[in-house]
Amino acid sequence: MAGQTDSTMTLFSSEEIEFMAEDEMAEIVPNLRMDSLNFICGDYGPFLPQLAAQVPLWLALALKKRGKCTIRLPQWMSVENLTRVLEAERDSHAFQPLPFHYVEISRLLFDHAREDIPDMYMVRSLIEDIRDVRFHKVETNLEKFTASTVTWKNMSAMEVNVIRAFAGRALQAFYKHDNEQETPDTDRTPNKQPQIPTDRPKRNLKPR
Amino acid sequence: MANYYDIDGILMEEEFVPVVFQKPINGVNIDESTEKGYVEQGSKTELPFWLAHELHMRQAVTISVPTCFNQKTRLEIQADAACVDLRSRCLYFYEFGCKLAPLCDKSIGLLLSYAFQIRYKEVLHKAHATAFAAASKFLMLLTKEETNLYEAAQSSMAAFKKWRMGGPRLQRASILGRKRKPAE
Repeated sequence: MAGQTDSTMTLFSSEEIEFMAEDEMAEIVPNLRMDSLNFICGDYGPFLPQLAAQVPLWLALALKKRGKCTIRLPQWMSVENLTRVLEAERDSHAFQPLPFHYVEISRLLFDHAREDIPDMYMVRSLIEDIRDVRFHKVETNLEKFTASTVTWKNMSAMEVNVIRAFAGRALQAFYKHDNEQETPDTDRTPNKQPQIPTDRPKRNLKPR
Repeated sequence: MANYYDIDGILMEEEFVPVVFQKPINGVNIDESTEKGYVEQGSKTELPFWLAHELHMRQAVTISVPTCFNQKTRLEIQADAACVDLRSRCLYFYEFGCKLAPLCDKSIGLLLSYAFQIRYKEVLHKAHATAFAAASKFLMLLTKEETNLYEAAQSSMAAFKKWRMGGPRLQRASILGRKRKPAE
């Protein structure tokens, strides 16, 4: 089925990551009067016209689709901030702090709330640029890594997810080969050294 | 042993290794042309790895280095690891090497790790940059493990691109909207 995880390759599909991103908070300005909503994840509201409220993105989008609110652009999605981030991304090797789900949030807002975004095209191309720069950085970082510790700060969910399958496998292989080199005598060879196997190999029972 | 039923593990153990018998063995014949019906001490042959390994544990044979890890391959890997055709040498180059290293030659481990580090970068570049058609020639050189890596990278990148392009988000069930024609 489309949008579901392919169990062999990755842990999450992009659609699932997007689903998780919908739990991030967003600010809306409702244009209706409504009592507070009580959900398992929390209580939101009451909603009064023209009074801003904090709701999860999924609720914001649901209200938006029915024309019951406008979504306020998050602070980090302003043109000034994005320009600053893009410059900083280009200048340094480190990743700039951006929301963990910035790729997904921006995409959801572009899809469903385009009239709420001033300078829509500018914002969109800035985010595309930032994403490309960052992804290029991810690749150069991947080039450098070996089995030693890997610390990359501020990577976003989508960036992690795109390289998850590849990096996981690669790290496993590096780890295997490095172990092979450093400790060939301690943990492997005793089992494989010439020995007469006992006629009944010991079985490890599953713990219950 | 990661998984008993791992098909790659099973196929890997089918690889042949050259062995030298340390004991005379009755009742087996490694060479059809002789009619002796036993194996002499010191005779050489090639056995699949799973058998050689068992015999090695019983000290019946010693295992020597198979062709895919011989001096010639080593030199080629040292020259330019990325261009060596490991697929034709041994499809399970790394896994096989790991199993073999403690049994015959410990330096195989070093070779594997060196080769993987270089070839990994090549896979990384090709996987994220090239279109599929252009990469097919490159794919011919990869071992099983490297192909897996390559495919993992390609498919997650493709999935991401597909998501970004969008397309129909809600798929309409085929049963819906069939009965009535849109009111016009």
